[in-house]
Amino acid sequence: MSKVKLIWLSSISCNGNAHSFLNYPQLEEFLDNFEFVYHPIIESDYSLCDVVHQDLECDILLIEGAISPEFKKCDEPIINTINRYAHIAKKIVTVGTCATFGGMFKHSGYRYTTGLHFVEDKPSFLFKSLESKTVSISGCPIHPEVLVQTLYAIKDDLSLHLDKFLRPKEFFAYTVHNGCVRNEYFEYKVDNHNFGAKEGCMFYDHGCQAPYTTGSCNKILWNEVNSKTRNGEPCHGCMDASFPRFDFFTTKKNMGIPQHLPLGVGKRTYLTLAGVTKAFKIQRFEEDMFSYSLNK
Amino acid sequence: MKKIEFIEKIEGEAKLHFSFQNNKIDFVQIEFFNTRNIENILKNKSPLDALVINPRVCGICNHAHLIATVKALEDTIDDIEISQKAKILREVTLNLEIIQNHFKWFYLTILPLMGLKQDVLKAMKPSQLVAKAIATLAGQYPHNSYAIVGGVVCDPTFIEIVKLRNYINDILKFFEQNMVQADAIEMLNCTNSQKLFAQNGDLPYILSKLVDSDMLTVGKSYDRFIVFGENSYFKRGKSIKTRVSKTIDEKFIREFETPNSLAKSVQYKDSYYEVGPLSRAMLNKTPLIKDMHRRYGDAMISRIVARVCEIPQLLNHTLYLVNHIDLTQPSYIKPCIDIQKHSGMGVGSVEAARGSLVHKVEISSGVIKDYHIITPTQWNLSNGSRDNLAIAQKAMVGLKDAKLAELVFKSFDVCSVCTTH
Repeated sequence: MSKVKLIWLSSISCNGNAHSFLNYPQLEEFLDNFEFVYHPIIESDYSLCDVVHQDLECDILLIEGAISPEFKKCDEPIINTINRYAHIAKKIVTVGTCATFGGMFKHSGYRYTTGLHFVEDKPSFLFKSLESKTVSISGCPIHPEVLVQTLYAIKDDLSLHLDKFLRPKEFFAYTVHNGCVRNEYFEYKVDNHNFGAKEGCMFYDHGCQAPYTTGSCNKILWNEVNSKTRNGEPCHGCMDASFPRFDFFTTKKNMGIPQHLPLGVGKRTYLTLAGVTKAFKIQRFEEDMFSYSLNK
Repeated sequence: MKKIEFIEKIEGEAKLHFSFQNNKIDFVQIEFFNTRNIENILKNKSPLDALVINPRVCGICNHAHLIATVKALEDTIDDIEISQKAKILREVTLNLEIIQNHFKWFYLTILPLMGLKQDVLKAMKPSQLVAKAIATLAGQYPHNSYAIVGGVVCDPTFIEIVKLRNYINDILKFFEQNMVQADAIEMLNCTNSQKLFAQNGDLPYILSKLVDSDMLTVGKSYDRFIVFGENSYFKRGKSIKTRVSKTIDEKFIREFETPNSLAKSVQYKDSYYEVGPLSRAMLNKTPLIKDMHRRYGDAMISRIVARVCEIPQLLNHTLYLVNHIDLTQPSYIKPCIDIQKHSGMGVGSVEAARGSLVHKVEISSGVIKDYHIITPTQWNLSNGSRDNLAIAQKAMVGLKDAKLAELVFKSFDVCSVCTTH
């Protein structure tokens, strides 16, 4: 059986998605089923300028990086190359938050910088006609498993259930908070009072965006071993349309209530629950689980 | 005669504008494009935001940018206290990043230039183990921000320490079974580099190809090296030929624009210096590399061996560090000053995979006023003039063909995204 032909096109990017993809554990199996007509790291029969100046065969077009009409590759505006291959390819996948929503590099100062179909959570009409072909994978960077699984689903012609940003619901229908090992502290409103501790939740004071960011970080672990929030780092919302919100390590509050509440939770519900949990103290959550040190 | 060569798969792209005279390259200009204006994005942001923004400079050396950032921010605070444990953990994760880079460079970049097939699986087997080891301490790889002003966010137990040790030993085994089939530590202490040529393995095979194609003296530059990022392994200083001087100061670094490129050139006291594994080995006086240098000077072959042989050196040293982590120490000590209200200037220098990386920050009343990032590739691939060639230009001028020049160019391990950031 012939392999699925992929073209990976980098626009305004840091190459982080290209490297994160390489961390897919069954890479050999993947490369037995898919081949890169072009990839920014993997060797290919065609050069980047071949891709830009010829019409090569392509089943799935992968786009990494934010898009601006001003931005060129091989002296050709990237939007022309995207448009050409978008029509040749059967499917388009936006790889990462920049290609999906504009991400970090929508701030780079290029004119009209956008994701393929969205600028943050607003529609961008530059490529409107391609919407029916597109699947979005957000993440800064993408999780390799999420990208590869999606490519297999496309290869196997599965009908993907997509959310309003065209992301497969299997990975984006729940929050990053789902599966975090600090959930008990969240439930009883115990913040992580200090960095560098196994204990505590970072939502209340340290800017953690996991309760209102959708993504699979705590369900499909990073590098198969860990996640930011498990490790003690607040979620920066890198899979979200709003990334980067900035002020990453502070929880913005109005009258003591977090500005952004857990996904789908209303202010009244939140306040009622907060009132109840504040009424009691659970000794176990006030103490370290255990400590190697006496004066932590 | 003029010729333009488009170079790709170097974490982005670059153009080499060659000028030939009498069938030899007599000048070459290096052009980078596609800047992302990271230094502008940082302006007027909270200082801590730099910890999340800066890893996004680069997909392959993001962690070096994180550690340089945290060091620059901490440098703005007098008497900041960082536990020995946090310092070790930062060093461990940064060493690991350097290691994955070198594996990728050898199997993905060098092999195709020597007429062999790129070996993605050999590149990624050890690199994925490295990424797991980093993620064990730092949450994920790439793009974490686990180092924060005051220490690190993680709180490892002996479970993580055992995992780390096992990952490192697995990576070392891969090296000894594939790259050089010998006891890696014995090899590094060996003072006769010809013994390396006689071993089996992927590195000696590439060396034999260089010998066969008469490329032992190709790619020499000024024999002038500099290292800014001191830690428990790398020594800071400069080395001209073999004369070492320890006193250097970041204030003498000068960044300047050059025509036809979006990358800024960099000099130290008005001279171009090479950074990277060969520079580090010259300062560290690593026996094997010293012997390579004695025989071949700063030729491309010395650069290749220095880079690959940094893998076992760093694995060995990182294992030593892991075995000396004192888990009773705190991971994080809250700084006496809130950086989100603070004013000050700071410099953070680290050794990244490709060489010295310097971050300079100015904070005023809790916001970033000014930020400068000087990357290793800027040092090596500065764009000098005909009468004052920069490091890689000097190494390419005099060669007969553009393809060979591309090999020499890539022996510096080019990172395009870092260069233009």
